[in-house]
Amino acid sequence: MNVLAQLVISGVVVGMIYGVIAFGYQLTFATSKTLNFGQGEALMLGALVGLTTINFLIGQSLGAFTAYLLMLPVVLAFGLLQGAVVEFLGVRQAIRTKSEAGWIMATIALGIIFKNLAENIWGRDALRFPSPLPEAALSIGPVRIQPMEIAIVLGAVALMIAVEIFNRRSIYGKAVVATANDRDAAGLMGINTRLVITFSYALSSMAAAFAGVLVAPITLTGATMGAVLGLKAFAVAIIGGLSSGVGVVVGGLILGISENLTGYYISTGYKDVPGLVLLLLVLTFKPSGLFGSAAIKKV
Amino acid sequence: MLTIENLVAGYGKVQVLHGISLEVPQGRLVTLIGSNGAGKTTTLRALSGMIQPQSGSIRLDGKDIAGLPSYEITRRGMAHSPEGRRVFPTLPVTDNLLLGAFTRFTGMRPKGDTSADLDRMFELFPRLRERRTQLAGTLSGGEQQMLAMARALMLNPEVLLLDEPSMGLAPKLVEEVFTTVARLKERRITMLLVEQFAAAALEVADYGYVMENGRISVHGPAEQLRNDPAVRDAYLGVAH
Repeated sequence: MNVLAQLVISGVVVGMIYGVIAFGYQLTFATSKTLNFGQGEALMLGALVGLTTINFLIGQSLGAFTAYLLMLPVVLAFGLLQGAVVEFLGVRQAIRTKSEAGWIMATIALGIIFKNLAENIWGRDALRFPSPLPEAALSIGPVRIQPMEIAIVLGAVALMIAVEIFNRRSIYGKAVVATANDRDAAGLMGINTRLVITFSYALSSMAAAFAGVLVAPITLTGATMGAVLGLKAFAVAIIGGLSSGVGVVVGGLILGISENLTGYYISTGYKDVPGLVLLLLVLTFKPSGLFGSAAIKKV
Repeated sequence: MLTIENLVAGYGKVQVLHGISLEVPQGRLVTLIGSNGAGKTTTLRALSGMIQPQSGSIRLDGKDIAGLPSYEITRRGMAHSPEGRRVFPTLPVTDNLLLGAFTRFTGMRPKGDTSADLDRMFELFPRLRERRTQLAGTLSGGEQQMLAMARALMLNPEVLLLDEPSMGLAPKLVEEVFTTVARLKERRITMLLVEQFAAAALEVADYGYVMENGRISVHGPAEQLRNDPAVRDAYLGVAH
């Protein structure tokens, strides 16, 4: 029983990371029906830029916690910029020429370039990321959990709620939703929808960069850390539905928990199988995702 | 207010408009009538920048706006209530209306009193007040039409383009739409109304243009067109 609870809790932590990255996929899909397949690399770059920044700040004799907090705005700003660059270089032309596949290759290519760039700047070895919180696990009932793991769950939820509030409350957020609903009609409102799409890419990479510095203290940081996370988060986005905010959270949890349970009870060699089987089932029986719905449209 | 000269436009290689010239003076209601496929909707789409004109000039308040993207044209004061209503289905009625005033909230057009304007829309369309928290996608066709018109009016436009506000509505609602258009005319809102119900449109308009195969075939004061035998035969469905 205790083992089960422990496995579920660890699964939730990993699942929330998948959820945040998948949330990023949703943001660009909503406005432009395109995705950044370099999302994992956006996460990796965010984590490495975060690493350099936090090490610099700690070098200025700041405590790890303060340094981590000061590092966050730097990483978020970097994520925004990196996403805007991806949209500008890889996606904009494909949308303009209504290319069906151009953006797929372009975002994959940019992802590879970013990975090579990171290998040359930070090297090929996995690096340790200073933890802002005590690393000793806390005992809560039957389970043991690291403070950073709690921070991951809270941080992930906070990010998604912040974006949701922005979309619902501010006129700029409503403009993003309007663009997602009907791009031509949004243009008629005076909304520069091309800019909205650039912004959604910026926000998407920002979410990934944030996920990068959330997960970095409990794993290791390095140029290859993003690829698997990006791919699994893509599976989560498909399982949950590319149009559903709740879907990515639930999809992330399903994948995270099923990985942990399979890894313990069956074999770590098969830990990815249940999630991917679910992916295949969803694609076959409910292609819009477990929580995805067809758009409401009345003519 | 709005002057169009020799407007040529179409979709891809298909040319639909073969040189349209028309004028919408300040404070007037001008209607553009004609049969299906004559190019009425295409004309409005070219005016608001939803499609790029191939040649010709479109002057709004003296400035050429032909070829500008639609958001730029909207920022200069042209509101377009498009064919098919195109409301934002996943947003509540109020948010749809606030988005109509997007340029005013973001400093691209004079702000004025947006909440008073919102109230005014709810007075003009009481049904929208009842439904203000409902998602636009769940409204009936008639309600969506009212929403599309109200959303366009929230711009405080210099010119309002209305594309077939009566399309697909029950006869009683069609009457309601024309009553609303007449009320907007009383407020001296400059309007270009595209309609298939030619008789009703010429009843309410000051001036009319008749379109045929991408060209203007006849134009004149609305009353004169109502009495023009050729127009009556072709478009007004008057029994002999």
